Amino acid sequence: MSQPVFSRRSLLRAAGLAGGAAALAACAGPGGEAAPVTSGGFDGPVEGELSFAHWRAEDKDVFDQVIASFVQKNPKVTVRQDISASADYQSTALTKIRGGGVGDAFTAFRGAQFTNIASAGVWSDLTGQSLIGAYEPALITAGAQGGRQLGLPYQLVFNMPVTNQDLLARHGYAELPRTWDGFLGVLDGLKAKGVTPIAWPGGDSGNGGQLINSMVLNNAPADDAFAQVEAGTLKVTDDWFLTTLRQYEQLKPYFQGGATGTANEAAMQLFATGKAAFLATGSYAAGPVRKLGARFPLGLYAPITVANPRYEGVFNATFILGVNANSSRKAAALAWLRHLSDPAVAAVYANGTSQHVTVAGVEYTNPDLRAFAPWLTRRTLLAPRFQFNDLDVRTAVEEAAVKVVGGTKPEEAAEAAQRVVDQKR
Amino acid sequence: MRRHWGLYLFPIPALALYLAFFVLPAAQGLQYAITDWDGFSPSYNQVGAGNFARIVTNDDQFANALRNNLTFLLAVVSGQTVLALGLAVLLAARTRGSTVLRALFFLPTVLSSISVAFVWRFVYDPNLGLLHSLGVPGRFLGDEDTAILWVAVAQIWFHAGQMMVLFIAGLHQIPAELHEAAHVDGAGRWQRFRFVTWPMLAPATALVVAYTTIQSFKAFDLILGLAGNPPRSSLDILSTRIYTTFTNSQLGYAAAESVVFMLAIGVVTWLQNRAARIGAGR
Repeated sequence: MSQPVFSRRSLLRAAGLAGGAAALAACAGPGGEAAPVTSGGFDGPVEGELSFAHWRAEDKDVFDQVIASFVQKNPKVTVRQDISASADYQSTALTKIRGGGVGDAFTAFRGAQFTNIASAGVWSDLTGQSLIGAYEPALITAGAQGGRQLGLPYQLVFNMPVTNQDLLARHGYAELPRTWDGFLGVLDGLKAKGVTPIAWPGGDSGNGGQLINSMVLNNAPADDAFAQVEAGTLKVTDDWFLTTLRQYEQLKPYFQGGATGTANEAAMQLFATGKAAFLATGSYAAGPVRKLGARFPLGLYAPITVANPRYEGVFNATFILGVNANSSRKAAALAWLRHLSDPAVAAVYANGTSQHVTVAGVEYTNPDLRAFAPWLTRRTLLAPRFQFNDLDVRTAVEEAAVKVVGGTKPEEAAEAAQRVVDQKR
Repeated sequence: MRRHWGLYLFPIPALALYLAFFVLPAAQGLQYAITDWDGFSPSYNQVGAGNFARIVTNDDQFANALRNNLTFLLAVVSGQTVLALGLAVLLAARTRGSTVLRALFFLPTVLSSISVAFVWRFVYDPNLGLLHSLGVPGRFLGDEDTAILWVAVAQIWFHAGQMMVLFIAGLHQIPAELHEAAHVDGAGRWQRFRFVTWPMLAPATALVVAYTTIQSFKAFDLILGLAGNPPRSSLDILSTRIYTTFTNSQLGYAAAESVVFMLAIGVVTWLQNRAARIGAGR
């Protein structure tokens, strides 16, 4: 009987070798040096199929309208929306954008993602382009780096508590105080009248974390205090942050029961049904609250925690628009951004999505946007919580506040957070 | 035999797929585990065993996730096994209504985990939730000390019916003669369960425990659905921790965490096998 050509052992050996070869091949991985930021390259015809990559699926219909008007002006262009879920946008979608396969024009989150894209050289430098003049200069700083305007923060939200103006007025608080004690007095008065003073979704990390913006707004020793915490030049065990945590402790009786386990939907429900005076999330809650049946006028208010406040409130400019440096249709991508920067077009987007925009001179017709519009020109600070580039650090610092509301001592909560900060540096 | 050498060509497509979709990604994962790659930049540095050293010695969040995962695992494995066994014993016999009850207990298994998470978010809400309206006090998912156990309850509710079916299948494998003989020998109901049913269910129990263990490590979407992303530290388990690290632009470190995660599953599985062998007297 002849021997088989391949024994089982030889086959296994071959499989092992193939695996090893695959492992070696895998070692190729990403490579090369980070490309520098590219300037120019915007000359050329406005034509072709443009890919616009973003994560806001809820804005798709409004973008379809805006795209229709863009194509009407530029008949040689078509625009495709490449929409990813926001979590995917943090990972796989960005890799595709870097490769230039999608996202001739694309968007990025403020913070770590913006920085990563900048270091990978995927933003085209927009400095000196005329469309920048269409924006409120103070509201697009999150899209600048090293003196260059790489992206244009487009959508604008106010990450500070929303108020039920009717309910406050009914209880004699049409004007809200400019002191911490005065604010606690209002909360006390509301509670005495059977109102839940503050609906806070402490069980929802995304929405519950927004309150920290207002709480450190004036307590922080510097505008970039959280960036300094991450860099190690400030600590969350310092007095300014301990003061913030102690103030959270003071707010504890004024949150709804079980605040640290409350989901965002439940907090919104409390607010929308008129049972709570403040909803401690942000202006972006206006649309959902209306859908839940709220009929009262809305306002915004950030607790004033110090005697001489530098700021009145908080804003955030995320959804940063940019042109892909690796795109072969940069002229068309820039034209698309220019279209979005037209106040009339921006108004269509803003009113259709119930979100403010950073474009100057936009006429807001949505009643909530009109009510919040005065905040566009008030003394507001770019939301501190998004200064963190490390999500773990941000979560640890925000969680310190949640723990305090849950009963942990401020010092203990701060130390636990600082330990994580130190480990992540 | 030599004439049939062509037979060896048949596994090649399967082998190629295996290499492409298992060996290559696994090798890449191992390779990234020794880098500081952020998952996006075109370049990265080799850090050797640095990621692993940090995980083991200087990462409270990973240690906390491991602790939570083991607590969750113990709660789910014990709770789910006991509940599923109890349901199986009660519903194994074909009596009136048993089929309907089996279907009812099995029903949650067919739901998506995100739907289950939304249902339990409603159950646990301290203001508008079902437990609150029934007068059960507590912060539930907001209670740092017990939050992971509340998730375990949801997980048990989700999968107990599936395990019940495995136990029922095991019960139907037991020869009726054994029970009859024990009955004739004067064994009571509990003694028959203790000395006949339970030992005969050993293979089904081993299967249920192994399957439940894997499910406990993979409870990712239920936790994210209940707690949001990223989950608070009291709800963070290994799979959610790795996901957070990944979305935190630390792909190299996440890959190292995945390797440790795989080792943790290996250790738990090995311990289970040892325990099962000792239990079987081998």
